[in-house]
Amino acid sequence: MDPARIRNFSIIAHIDHGKSTLADRLLEITGALSQREMTDQVLDSMDLERERGITIKAHAVRLVYAAEDGNAYQLNLIDTPGHVDFTYEVARSLQACESALLVVDATQGVEAQTLANTYLALHHNLEIIPVINKIDLPAAEPDRIREQIHDVIGLDGAGALLVSAKQGAGVRDVLEAIVHLTPPPRGNPDAPLRALIFDSWYDPYRGVITLLRVVDGSVRLGQRIRLMSHGKSYEVEGLGFQSPKPVPCDQLDAGEVGFMFANIKTVSDARIGDTVTDDAIPAEEALPGFEEIKPMVFAGLYPVESHAHGELRDALEKLRLNDSAFSFEPESSVALGFGFRCGFLGLLHLEIVQERLEREFDLDLITTAPGVRYRILRRNGDVLEIDSPAKFPNPAEIETVEEPIIEASVISREEYLGEILKLLEEKRGVQKKFEYLGAGRVMLTYELPLNEIVLDFYDRLKTVSRGYASLDYHFAGYRASPMVKLDVLVAGDQVDALSLIVHRDHAYDRGKELIARLRKLIPRQMFEVALQAAIGNKVIARDNIPAMRKNVLAKCYGGDITRKRKLLEKQKEGKRRMKRVGRVDIPQEAFLSVLKVGAEE
Amino acid sequence: MAGVYISYPFCAQKCTYCNFGSGLASTVLEAAYEAALRGEIRNHQWSWRPETLYLGGGSPSRWQGEGLAAALSELPGAPWREATIEAAPGEITREKARGWRTAGINRASLGVQSFNQREIARTGRKHTAAMAAEQVMLLREEGIRRINIDLIAGLPGQTAPGWNESLDWIEKLAPGHASIYMLEVDEDSRLGRELLSGGARYGALDVPPETAIVDFYETAVERLERIGLRRYEISNFARPGEESLHNLKYWRLEPYAGFGADAHSFDGRTRRQNAASAAEYVERHRSGLPFAIEETPACPGEERFFVGLRLAEGIPLDPRDARRFEGPISRFIAAGLLERQSNRLKLTPRGVLLSNEVFQEFLTQ
Repeated sequence: MDPARIRNFSIIAHIDHGKSTLADRLLEITGALSQREMTDQVLDSMDLERERGITIKAHAVRLVYAAEDGNAYQLNLIDTPGHVDFTYEVARSLQACESALLVVDATQGVEAQTLANTYLALHHNLEIIPVINKIDLPAAEPDRIREQIHDVIGLDGAGALLVSAKQGAGVRDVLEAIVHLTPPPRGNPDAPLRALIFDSWYDPYRGVITLLRVVDGSVRLGQRIRLMSHGKSYEVEGLGFQSPKPVPCDQLDAGEVGFMFANIKTVSDARIGDTVTDDAIPAEEALPGFEEIKPMVFAGLYPVESHAHGELRDALEKLRLNDSAFSFEPESSVALGFGFRCGFLGLLHLEIVQERLEREFDLDLITTAPGVRYRILRRNGDVLEIDSPAKFPNPAEIETVEEPIIEASVISREEYLGEILKLLEEKRGVQKKFEYLGAGRVMLTYELPLNEIVLDFYDRLKTVSRGYASLDYHFAGYRASPMVKLDVLVAGDQVDALSLIVHRDHAYDRGKELIARLRKLIPRQMFEVALQAAIGNKVIARDNIPAMRKNVLAKCYGGDITRKRKLLEKQKEGKRRMKRVGRVDIPQEAFLSVLKVGAEE
Repeated sequence: MAGVYISYPFCAQKCTYCNFGSGLASTVLEAAYEAALRGEIRNHQWSWRPETLYLGGGSPSRWQGEGLAAALSELPGAPWREATIEAAPGEITREKARGWRTAGINRASLGVQSFNQREIARTGRKHTAAMAAEQVMLLREEGIRRINIDLIAGLPGQTAPGWNESLDWIEKLAPGHASIYMLEVDEDSRLGRELLSGGARYGALDVPPETAIVDFYETAVERLERIGLRRYEISNFARPGEESLHNLKYWRLEPYAGFGADAHSFDGRTRRQNAASAAEYVERHRSGLPFAIEETPACPGEERFFVGLRLAEGIPLDPRDARRFEGPISRFIAAGLLERQSNRLKLTPRGVLLSNEVFQEFLTQ
């Protein structure tokens, strides 16, 4: 294909601003799908994606559009994941495009996430095409949004396209704008092959499938290729593109987007951002932007049933084939038995992995409180990186503890400012910037300990702002903080899975709260159970769970023995799902309660 | 020997604590129900002659005399050694009592639940203590001399003085049998659902705490013992010889045939449960469907523990079970929940209150 007739674009939008609906419309109008084939959100193919209305994996769909100038254009829509956990992936997807549709809800306005991704797109020199969606809604205020696009992003809002993706209005104008405003791909068709991997996943039949944007040269079936980050070479076994069904082809040329498989065994050998080149005539320089992304948030995953440990390992290995950002290593807990310490990009990533393990592998899991990786300088000069409270050294050995800090931007309406500032304060935030964006909106830039936001920050931000505030953040380095390890003892036994690393000033409150929660969640046992929270040997909070006094069935129900049995079986099953620590049966919710400490009731 | 249970699932009102499948009375449905019930009894293939009979509900005391007598006339085995009717205080008249006696009834179980006026009013019941007392006398005068009185420990607003007031009445009326039921909290009663969901209706907020309910129960055990009513089962107390022969059959895994809505049967091998509501029961009769909606094979080897251990006499422990359950048995003996006397296994007083904890360990499937 002549690069002059190729347009590669993506769509930037906040959740619920209508990205998927617009994408569906584009597919429909260009005839990629008949109306009959349309199900909502064609591109979000995982169940999880559809349910949550978010995109987790990238997609690339080729559309053929007969433009009003009489020419047929190849449009490649690159759909990017839409969450703060996946900034690196988003950046690589954007790098594969020359333009981005900036979709803004006509009733809502620009959100922090959209803004962050727009800046990311501008950073990669993409042409931004503003689209104001949902103009059919009575509450639509296109003029206000136009102004906002101008004031907040600095783009010409006057030219923004007015669209109702739901009703199909203005969608043809969007296609025309893509053709006329998107620069054709630059790149040298005659230079040695350079193609950017912007997503990859594992397919049990074909090995790793990568999504590629060919920048220079071309890639052909049978070609010997090399991945530039590690130098391994492979033979191209399959090429094609999605339309949106997969269509095989022999060759992908400069400017084109498609998929490739080459008998690559794991996704960690075909990482997002890596450059594919020709093995015989390699390019001199890889495409920019490749980074090895590191997990930021850590949690222990344990099977409820200890014999499922092997199954959990198999499941984690399979998931890892598909997700190189996720890490795991064996860990054991006195309370929970054998499990794995897992690393995630962020909380959403954690939730996704947890849900996939439970759904796709039918595992019952206990997740311990998510935490971050601390850097500890010991008195003897050693530096230790720990991602689990279990590895936290004795306080006497610690010189300093450093914790990861993020820079967060929050956009909200002014009226919620007071509550938001209070929340940021409570989460140990340090204000960096305070900007008025006009039309009653403000943007706050804060430095926050990552540890504080892994708990419930996002939910609370949404609550205090009635769902209005939006958040974006990036890692900003490490900072020394007086962190301590808070232990919990149940009936005198330390329950390691309930330990927490907290700021010294929060330790007392968190300890009290944790004990109060556990008192409610741990059922009465046949004896009194003492609950204690302690830092080292110092108990900072305590309470008792009184002994159970009765668990008895009164009536005989006219001989209904079956009902009695069912009730006893239910109670027995309930106990089987608990974890026994010492003599005490602790329900799963108790382990989850740690997640909620510091959150509001 | 075997027993018969007949269910009459209609009441003047639905009590807040009730977790049975009984419903409000309706003349039309009651008539159809009677017909269906007679049909079920008539078609039953008797492989034994019933020794005991139990009319439960609902409120069988609402049942019009002729209907009840007609249903009972379908049964073999009269005169029965023990024939009990559950009666709601306030519904017993001299005329009804005479009719019952004529039909073969010789025992009455009164669902008084409380003799304290405040407690009674809060459950939605309409009787008074004096009314209940008067009717006990009336039954005796008419020749129904074996009397049981039910009390519930744990009613909304119940206090120690209120509870003792009810026990005072038991002393005064001196029935040969009393049942003390600790309030059951489950999804099947309105009050139970309210308690489970943390709501405030039906006096849920005033339900006494677990410790108070246990204290009420223990007080009852002590006071009833003093007047000669011995605990022979977790919730049942009787003067020796006055035990409910019919209910003992359940706990000793003897066979019984149940007729009517939500009635249960056990023929020695299989347990059957009839359609749970009167309407469904009548409908199955009309369309000629079998009344039983569930059949489960009985498992006496396991049931004898969670059913038999309810009895103060406990269960005989054969060497095979002693080996099979060696772990739990020795653990519960050490914890003071079980005791072993020669070859019998019994719950201790503390074990009674925690009996579900014990019973679970004897379920193996």
